[in-house]
Amino acid sequence: MIYRVISKSEFRKFLESLIESNVTIGPVQSDVDRNNDPIYKFQQVHSADEIELDYTISYTAVKNFFLPYREKLSEYTFTDDDWDQTIEYRVHPRVLVGLRPCDINALNILDRIFYKGTYPSPYYISRRKNTFIIGLDHEPLPDCFCSSMNHHTVTEGFDVFCSDIGDSYYLAINSSPAFDFLKKFQVTVPTDEDDKSYIERRKFIKKSFKTNVEIGSLPSFLDIEFDSPIWKKWGDKCLNCGTCAMVCPTCYCYQVEENIAVNLKKASKDMMLYSCTILDFAEVAGGHNFRPKKEDRLKYRYYHHYRGFEENAKEPICVGCNRCGRACLADINPKDVINDLRLDNEERS
Amino acid sequence: MKNDLKLPVQDVNLEPFMATPPQYTRKKVLMKTDKVYKCKIINVIDLTEYEKLFHLKILDRVERKIFQFRPGQFVMLEVPGYGEVPISLSSSTNNHEYIELCIRKTGRTTNVLHEASVGAYVGLRGPFGNSFPMEKMQGNNVLLIAGGLGLAPLRGPLYWVSEYRDLYKDVHVLYGAKEPSQMLFTYQYNEWEKVNHINMLSIVENPDENWNGRVGMITELLDEIEIDPINTYAIVCGPPVMFKFVCNRLDKIGIPMNKMFVSLERRMHCGMGKCCRCMVGSTFTCVDGPVFDYWSVLNLKEAI
Amino acid sequence: MKYLGLGPQKPKVGVFDFTCCEGCELQLANKETTLVDFLSLMEIVNFREISSDKGDDYEIALIEGSISRADEIERLKKIRERAKVLVAIGTCACFGGINSLKNRYPIDEVNREVYGEMPKETLEVKPVKEYVQVDLAIPGCPINKAEVERIIVDVVTKAEIKFPKYPVCVECKQHINTCLFDLGQFCLGPVTQAGCDAVCTSGKMGCLGCRGPFEAPNFEAFFDIAKEKGFSKDYIKERLSFFNAFSEVKDV
Repeated sequence: MIYRVISKSEFRKFLESLIESNVTIGPVQSDVDRNNDPIYKFQQVHSADEIELDYTISYTAVKNFFLPYREKLSEYTFTDDDWDQTIEYRVHPRVLVGLRPCDINALNILDRIFYKGTYPSPYYISRRKNTFIIGLDHEPLPDCFCSSMNHHTVTEGFDVFCSDIGDSYYLAINSSPAFDFLKKFQVTVPTDEDDKSYIERRKFIKKSFKTNVEIGSLPSFLDIEFDSPIWKKWGDKCLNCGTCAMVCPTCYCYQVEENIAVNLKKASKDMMLYSCTILDFAEVAGGHNFRPKKEDRLKYRYYHHYRGFEENAKEPICVGCNRCGRACLADINPKDVINDLRLDNEERS
Repeated sequence: MKNDLKLPVQDVNLEPFMATPPQYTRKKVLMKTDKVYKCKIINVIDLTEYEKLFHLKILDRVERKIFQFRPGQFVMLEVPGYGEVPISLSSSTNNHEYIELCIRKTGRTTNVLHEASVGAYVGLRGPFGNSFPMEKMQGNNVLLIAGGLGLAPLRGPLYWVSEYRDLYKDVHVLYGAKEPSQMLFTYQYNEWEKVNHINMLSIVENPDENWNGRVGMITELLDEIEIDPINTYAIVCGPPVMFKFVCNRLDKIGIPMNKMFVSLERRMHCGMGKCCRCMVGSTFTCVDGPVFDYWSVLNLKEAI
Repeated sequence: MKYLGLGPQKPKVGVFDFTCCEGCELQLANKETTLVDFLSLMEIVNFREISSDKGDDYEIALIEGSISRADEIERLKKIRERAKVLVAIGTCACFGGINSLKNRYPIDEVNREVYGEMPKETLEVKPVKEYVQVDLAIPGCPINKAEVERIIVDVVTKAEIKFPKYPVCVECKQHINTCLFDLGQFCLGPVTQAGCDAVCTSGKMGCLGCRGPFEAPNFEAFFDIAKEKGFSKDYIKERLSFFNAFSEVKDV
């Protein structure tokens, strides 16, 4: 990692140049909610003016740029009594600006499964390798708990990471293309003063977290509380709508479907991001459902998120962004569910 | 002055392994993970009203050579346009000519497959998953217990012990079915008994007028044989309810839990530890399973 | 499919309308990019909107509209007798649809309001399934042509037809829409069957539930949420009854 400092006005020029030469995706304001607060989304931008660098948090995570909600895995072309399979996963390079540390950490978690997992996914890797990522620190929202998950800072998985130190950004440069690009702009080696401001900024952010979720020994604890009545309580609230999984930066469960084209000459095998809270998630051939109850499916989501799987070294995959909690109409959020479980456990012991 | 910051294309297709046929046994290697081996249906054997045995031959010679598996593993069978389904391998590991898959007609993909004619082309990915520890079982008695369609995945270990018969002591196959008409591979029982010296016992729950064999639950077959619990390995395949009854009985008989193996059934969508549809406890049936010893099963939530 | 040794079947299809706006039929003739391919999947023997043929030898009958007159009942029963497969298309045929609003008032009052001094014979509005057996229901106001295409392709290629088991929310979030409740609106998305590709909510219009409930709706929790967000019981009831697609819900 190489550290540099860039003034905010020069950084803007850097962004403009990136936007001019590449497809660039950044946070833009898309709506105003019922309380008059802005809502941000990541979408393609055509000028640095569109990007809201001081945005709070994006409504939906950026995982869809790496794992699209729907994606063609392969295509079959039918001839008279035969067929041919074609697979295509090449993508054009693009720039993602303004990712928060938790978002980048979420990508690092997905890397473990799709990049370093048992069977690396070329679709994912192609997108990941072709994305230039500029990270940006931020002051946490009142309900962010990424510090509890230890995902409020990030050390890998990006090209440049910017920390706001007043009039300039303190840059952590993590890739050679990024370093080469920045050579063309006015960047300075950090002075003692800059280093101090940077450390102050980090301290300030760390102190600003207002929500804490106690995750110590959560894996064994989830095992013990497997039959807890708490699940029924939260399960009864759950709408089975799948929203939590859709907005989550790390939920990656999917379903595969095949469809024949209307002209009967082609068929496509498509994957679609799914949610474990949807009714038929654990249904097998013949109709047996291993998780027919709402609470079982909701529990499974928590199980996956906080207990982790063998495939990713049994580490929790939640990054603490609380997007699921914010988007859930039923107000099912990790903080309350986990606290409830802990309380239940304490009462019983 | 204009700064050209155009990012270069990183072409994953140029990675060396993307050009060669996928080898699913070589994990952690980047490859065209959704590429199927094209197979021809060279034979279809009607087993029951709902089950057929398909013989598939991988067309490409190199791919046919690459495709090697162990008893207990499964493949993802692709019927282009209809879907892809996990099917356990039912053939001998030494059969390099064709692959046998016993398939029940039970959904979008398998329904249409049952209508397919000999000579049709289908796709195959795999083999996936772990396998039965056949080597560890050497020198021991082997109990193969199947219920219903569970005989299909058991055919792998059955072929194995038959082919290396002198390495194993007594081999029993206990097979239970709902009705006589639902019994699979009936034409092979004689061969297994006479040629391979396997003790084959079967039982049905609802007999018909032609049935003169045993009637009852599969656990009753355990009363008919003598089991030396210390020197016996058991493999159990069947519907989830059967696991509980049979494994509890075996436990009572005294077979250690880590010497009882079950093959779990889930609806995989990828076979590669990604889609999470086959997750049991904190493991994936497709990568960490489908074979688990009973001790692990008891420790996995929602396994059976 | 041919490669499996299965020749595609070309079913004879009849399309019939009852009390409706014929919008669903229009949808069948829509989506020009694939229209020729779509129509060549079947043999249309009776479809007033696109053909002058009036054949009676159809195997599949697509029924649009609800039933609101005695002569419609007769006609429907005759179609049922002739067709091997009867498909209800659109919200009116599946649930009664907008027409069901009429059922809120006494039938005479409705007749007077519409026809004045020249009353017509009319009945309470009912969905097709109230009179004949329906083999397949494709809801939507109007139907989603892409979904109909998929279903017809499935029929022709002998594939099992599948409907999504999730609500509109999944498709809505996949379009990266902001939840309409967050924008202060009411939306039936969380309890409504998906398959429409969230067209209404993507246009920032709350879901009206034209496709009816999905397979596992949690009405109780949903109503509690809506009330908490400030929507009155009467308002929720009003929204639910818009298409008569939630008649199973007795109280909110």
